Amino acid sequence: MTESLAQLEVAAKQPGRVSRGAERVVRRIGRSVVGIAQQTGGILVLLGKIVRRFFPPDIDYYELKRNLHKMGNRSLPIIGLTSVFVGAIMVVQASAYVQQFSATAFVGWGAGYVILRELGPILIALMFSGRVGANNTAELGTMVVTEQIDGLRSLAIDPISYLIVPRFLSMIGMLFILTVFGNLIALCGAALFGQLTLGIEWRVFFHGITELLKPWDVYVGLIKSLVFGLIIALSSCYFGLAVRGGAPGVGRAVNASVVASAVGIFVSDYFLTFLVD
Amino acid sequence: MSAHVGAAVAPEARSGWVRRRLADVGAGAIDNARAARLLYSIFIRTLYYSVRGRREKGAVLRACYDIGNRSLFFLTAVMGFVGMIMVFHSCTQINRITGDLHLVGATYIQLVVRDFAASVGSMMLATRVGAGIAAEIGSMVVTDQVDALRMCAAEPVDYLIVPRFKASVVMTTVLLVWAMFVMEVSGMLTAWGMFNVNPRIFWNISMVDFRDLATGLTKCFAFGAAIPIVSGYCGLTTFGGAEGVGWATTRAVVWSCFATILLNFIISTTALYLFWV
Repeated sequence: MTESLAQLEVAAKQPGRVSRGAERVVRRIGRSVVGIAQQTGGILVLLGKIVRRFFPPDIDYYELKRNLHKMGNRSLPIIGLTSVFVGAIMVVQASAYVQQFSATAFVGWGAGYVILRELGPILIALMFSGRVGANNTAELGTMVVTEQIDGLRSLAIDPISYLIVPRFLSMIGMLFILTVFGNLIALCGAALFGQLTLGIEWRVFFHGITELLKPWDVYVGLIKSLVFGLIIALSSCYFGLAVRGGAPGVGRAVNASVVASAVGIFVSDYFLTFLVD
Repeated sequence: MSAHVGAAVAPEARSGWVRRRLADVGAGAIDNARAARLLYSIFIRTLYYSVRGRREKGAVLRACYDIGNRSLFFLTAVMGFVGMIMVFHSCTQINRITGDLHLVGATYIQLVVRDFAASVGSMMLATRVGAGIAAEIGSMVVTDQVDALRMCAAEPVDYLIVPRFKASVVMTTVLLVWAMFVMEVSGMLTAWGMFNVNPRIFWNISMVDFRDLATGLTKCFAFGAAIPIVSGYCGLTTFGGAEGVGWATTRAVVWSCFATILLNFIISTTALYLFWV
């Protein structure tokens, strides 16, 4: 790929071309389009390889257990902390309107709707992608630059079923469970802060949630968290395996992986919002 | 960090489970206090060298290009989708209750200016810019370039963090104001295309007053200052090769995201008590 790009550049530098600026812009656009296509293709190929390992199931269970603990249990404190503040910020933002219209009965509904359907899953997924996704890319990238993956291959151990499949499964499963916990903590944070600043009773707050929201509102957020988990798992594993060039390469890969996860989360959220309504 | 402090206390603490847990908690607290002190010292040194330090020609501009121009496409894409999602949700909810959509635009613009552009946009910037800064500085640390700077009697904070700090304060504010505009345009198009709200009715800035503008701009400024400090701290405390760079990047993303959420909470609450209560 890089060779053909280099050839193109050599060809483009030949005399007889007039507008240098326009050419450079077009070349840059083309290069980024090719790059994005390459990454999307690579991610889909990786997904195909992962899916093939489920028929018949070829998964390392010890590695799966270790990853579940590392990605799930150890992320709980930061997810909980984030969720409390997210809930509190929701109430702070709502309180100016609440005081204007004295609509205390609707605070629970408003905060619950936003947290359960949108903000909870998205912010928890972003934190998860920062903590677990980035760390996963860094770990796999380090294995690639220190040739540990080639070492596994030379021992006839399949890196996909030994390293990638357990991570893939535990990221999807743990993001789902963390979203359930995070939503609950965010609602409690909102209720607590509503009590402290606006003097809304817990009972009124949770009554608003249970009366005006349907179970479907909870399920939508959880379906979203499954899709976000898939996106984070695929992008972090792909960029981790595609690392080139030592320690700076690992840093660049982590950066690319969190950016790709963030874009993927918001774009898929947009389409999911339309699909489920 | 906590692991080897825990290991140092292990011989005496082996007697009981409770003592071991207590030792873990204490070690964690000491680590956090140390980290907070170092973070504070980097913050103060950054402020000092911003005023008193040497001025390298073009360093700030290069950092501006890196932080600002190269995040523009990413931020525009993400914020466009966020705007569409928010307007879609609020319009469907209002249609379910009152069906009167003519104030949607005014309220939406007020919320975007006061909070959403700054909070969601800065989390995106924390992800991209924070990971980039930590990866860059972290690779310099593990390849001993920072020690070389120290040996030349050059303060790493002055050389590495101050230009990024200045650039980030300026560019984050510029980018988040741009994000406000993008969110409003994408929201307006969604309301027009899907709910038949006339763009002229949607584009109603009568509800935005000084209080909203002041809150929103304070947030932009604070987030712009926090991201380079937190990720610069994570980069400078890197240790241990390629894996260390990966860890530093991970911590930078998590803690700069958390810093923006915490600052958002503090600024929102202060503004609530200052302006609205």
